Amino acid sequence: MQELPILPTTSVGSFPKPDYLKRARTQAYKGEIRERKLRELEEKATKEWIHFQEEIGIDILVDGEMYRGDMVTFFAETLKGFEVSGLVRSYGNRYYRKPVVVDEIKRAKPMTVEWFQFAQRLTKRPVKGMLTGPYTIMDWSFNEYYADRRELVLALAEVIHEEALDLEKAGARYIQIDEPAVSVRPEELPLAIEAMGIVTKGLKAKTLTHICYGDFEKIYPGMLDIPVDQIDLELSNSNFNLLELFRKYPFTKEIGLGVVDVHSHALETKDQVKGRIKKALEVFRPEQIYVDPDCGLKTREVQEAKDKLRVVVEATKEVRKELLSH
Amino acid sequence: MLRITVVSHYPKIGDTFEEQLLRRSLAQFDRKEIDLAKLEAVKDEVTRTVIEEQIDAGIEVVTDGEIRWDDAVTYLAGKIKGFSLTGLLRYFDTNTFYRQPVCEGALTSPQEGLVVKDFQFANTMSSVPLKALLTGPFTLAKLSRNKHYESTEEFGIKLAGILGEEIKLLEQAGATIVQFDEPALLNFKEEFPLFKKIWAKLAQSFPDHVETVLFLNFGNLEGVYPKILELPFTTLGLDFTTASANRKILCRADRAVPNDQAANRRSTDRRRANFSKKLLAGIIDARNTKMETEEEIRKRLEELLQIVSAEDLSVCPSHGLEYLPRESARRKLANLSKVVREFREAKVKV
Repeated sequence: MQELPILPTTSVGSFPKPDYLKRARTQAYKGEIRERKLRELEEKATKEWIHFQEEIGIDILVDGEMYRGDMVTFFAETLKGFEVSGLVRSYGNRYYRKPVVVDEIKRAKPMTVEWFQFAQRLTKRPVKGMLTGPYTIMDWSFNEYYADRRELVLALAEVIHEEALDLEKAGARYIQIDEPAVSVRPEELPLAIEAMGIVTKGLKAKTLTHICYGDFEKIYPGMLDIPVDQIDLELSNSNFNLLELFRKYPFTKEIGLGVVDVHSHALETKDQVKGRIKKALEVFRPEQIYVDPDCGLKTREVQEAKDKLRVVVEATKEVRKELLSH
Repeated sequence: MLRITVVSHYPKIGDTFEEQLLRRSLAQFDRKEIDLAKLEAVKDEVTRTVIEEQIDAGIEVVTDGEIRWDDAVTYLAGKIKGFSLTGLLRYFDTNTFYRQPVCEGALTSPQEGLVVKDFQFANTMSSVPLKALLTGPFTLAKLSRNKHYESTEEFGIKLAGILGEEIKLLEQAGATIVQFDEPALLNFKEEFPLFKKIWAKLAQSFPDHVETVLFLNFGNLEGVYPKILELPFTTLGLDFTTASANRKILCRADRAVPNDQAANRRSTDRRRANFSKKLLAGIIDARNTKMETEEEIRKRLEELLQIVSAEDLSVCPSHGLEYLPRESARRKLANLSKVVREFREAKVKV
């Protein structure tokens, strides 16, 4: 595999599903097409995304999660011990089904390894192994089995650890364990840290975690104790205000630098993104920085997502050139 | 004695086709397939259904389920002139969101009030007492952005004035219990002095014969107890499930000597004397589908009776029920009501 350049580019995990796959998922849910047909289309979409990432020159690839619905529900559906609840409301007229822990949690078989291998075979560039962290799975589930939140999160940490080991065995050099829920209850940060310690124990792969929904002020600098090599943050949608915080207490890990807003249709210009990277370079050493979008892109249209990824890569390449010419 | 009640919202939809009427109608309204009058009629119908469901489950003081409310602040702020509504923010530590109100000008309440019409309608639909619900002025102020008033204090006091007018209208409409949700207090405890000022203003409008409930969840009382008792309201509502510290804080005054019945009685008397309000206790967890056992509920009731007498105690879920699927909410309420009724009957016999 090739050496990574300075300021490697990557993405946070999910990409939008093409229309043919969205349709197929609905049809599969209604029993109108077979699992095998759906799988074929998931593979087709994965291939398209891998090729697109190669084509525009992203350095660390993701499989785009074409086979996952929701980042927690996917694991809840695959692990033993979970059921799915009736509908609950998130806001307005939007409802979702929440996982319910009803029995001891066990991993019957690897959950993401086959897809990782499928994606990695398509490219010479490294593909990240993508997992959801135990704290987030716990926080987004009902718990009818374990005595309390702590017991549940520690049980989840064990099975996510097994999955991470299997990903590493399958060749993953980067393993990302997303914990978007970590910023919500600052008082539980130590629990999230303990659980992540179990997940990443003994891994030789580079480990990262993505955190969002940002009240980062409340968990910083404490979150630097999360036992991973890199923390990936959304910075664009808060106008990079966090940098002030990092000026006060140095950021001691590698940073995944979110430079485009995934919640907005508006496409950032190359100069805007370059400006953001340069602003970050005032606070971080170049070797600390990995450049990516704020968060998973699955809620954008396919074309919007591609445009955003392209501008991330183009802006990074130019900043890289400027850095090297100095 | 030992009334069985609920707080704030009730799940708007369930898992059956019939129970999803509101969701469908909102989508149809968005597509302009039905008009506002039709949508309002659906909201009335769903309100009537959820009142019936609460009564069927054995609830003795019901609510309108806040079927018209999107969240704790949008519905009220949307009716107050001077507010505009902006982006979505997370509501405390839940996976639900609210639209942040921004105060852009002087605030004025509509003449017809904020929730009075809803209360009147729901009240006629209910065969048991129905309590009126409002979000408190402090929480409204803290969850909004104030661009108009000089200070948060001025802003909060203005809101207290508006909600004070509302409670008078509610009384005229026949309300006997009005609950104010103030979860923000337990998340901004250092602002207790401000909370106190805002509530002093609010209390100026409290009618004599209305039971006023201050409901506090999303946190525990540490740091604001016992001084919270100095405020002028009838009933203090608290979560005794996820905020388990509340029990310890209210019982801390002095501990009973084990196996000494006389000492036990004396300390119960003292604790009851110390707690000078009525108590509304959330004793089933409205944020988890796990069903409480009979023993758990009975144990909590026994503990609460060390703090207040059965006459001064009401019980409810820890939060509104919208964090649960509707089926689970129904089962939880039925369970609560069954166990509390049996407990009550056993007490009366003794």
